[in-house]
Amino acid sequence: MAADDDRADVEKVLAGEVAAFESIVRRWQSPLVNLAYRFCRDRGRAEDMAQEAFLRAYRALGIWRRDAAFSTWLFALATNLYRTELRRIPVGAVPLNDINAAVEPREHLEDADRDRFVRRAVLALPAKYREALTLYYFHDMDVQEAARSLDLPEGTLKARLSRGREMLREKLALLKEVL
Amino acid sequence: MKNDHIDRMLAREDSIVPSSGFSASVMEAVRREAETPPPIPFPWTRALPGLVSCVGALATLLVIAFSRPGRGTDLPDGLVRAVQAANNAGAGWIVLALVVSLVSVIVGTRGFSRVGLGKRGRVYL
Repeated sequence: MAADDDRADVEKVLAGEVAAFESIVRRWQSPLVNLAYRFCRDRGRAEDMAQEAFLRAYRALGIWRRDAAFSTWLFALATNLYRTELRRIPVGAVPLNDINAAVEPREHLEDADRDRFVRRAVLALPAKYREALTLYYFHDMDVQEAARSLDLPEGTLKARLSRGREMLREKLALLKEVL
Repeated sequence: MKNDHIDRMLAREDSIVPSSGFSASVMEAVRREAETPPPIPFPWTRALPGLVSCVGALATLLVIAFSRPGRGTDLPDGLVRAVQAANNAGAGWIVLALVVSLVSVIVGTRGFSRVGLGKRGRVYL
């Protein structure tokens, strides 16, 4: 079980066995890189951010409280880092008002086009709505897990999800007929 | 567009696979970190004379400001005399040097922290 493996590996690392951290990296590299990618949409930058997240986790292993799952702690730490990084050096997103203009008028959009279009619209949302939507879908629509990662009350997250979806709906009105 | 449409589209996200050298690169950074000696604690005992000098310099400035000729002061005579003696010994220049040092440290620290992540050879400015 991953939780037990995490706990055992953390104990080894804290006892001085640095190599045990590699198991943690291998277990969580894909989720952490994918989460970073959803924030920045740039593979190279996503790996840089994920590497920094692992490094910070390594430095802070001693303060992980065992009452929370290691993965919850790791995702919260990574999310916090990614949010800070993206606020410091934002992704070159298209302004929300220009999203509709970027779509070629066509009878039918392919699924992939629609998905790409919606993701661009998400990137153009204000940070608090974008982060709420990103974490919610990353955690397979689990409000509790997303709220923990963002360190927000569930009610606040739900309100941001609702407002974020509303903004998306308004801005994606162009797709109404083709959906 | 309904919520479930948006849910379907956003949940249908393809995963990316980390590059083959990713975990090796992370472990290299972790090993470097592990080999780095722990940070040196701030040398309070050594810094104390400097801090006392700063406080003294500040007091000097205040006394000079409040004890111009023809203007009375409420500060104790002993303090005024000590500060005036320090002033005669060139305390003003010491104050200036301390302020310049402080500004240099602040500017240097801020400049360093503005450089983005670039652990794997890339720098984002």
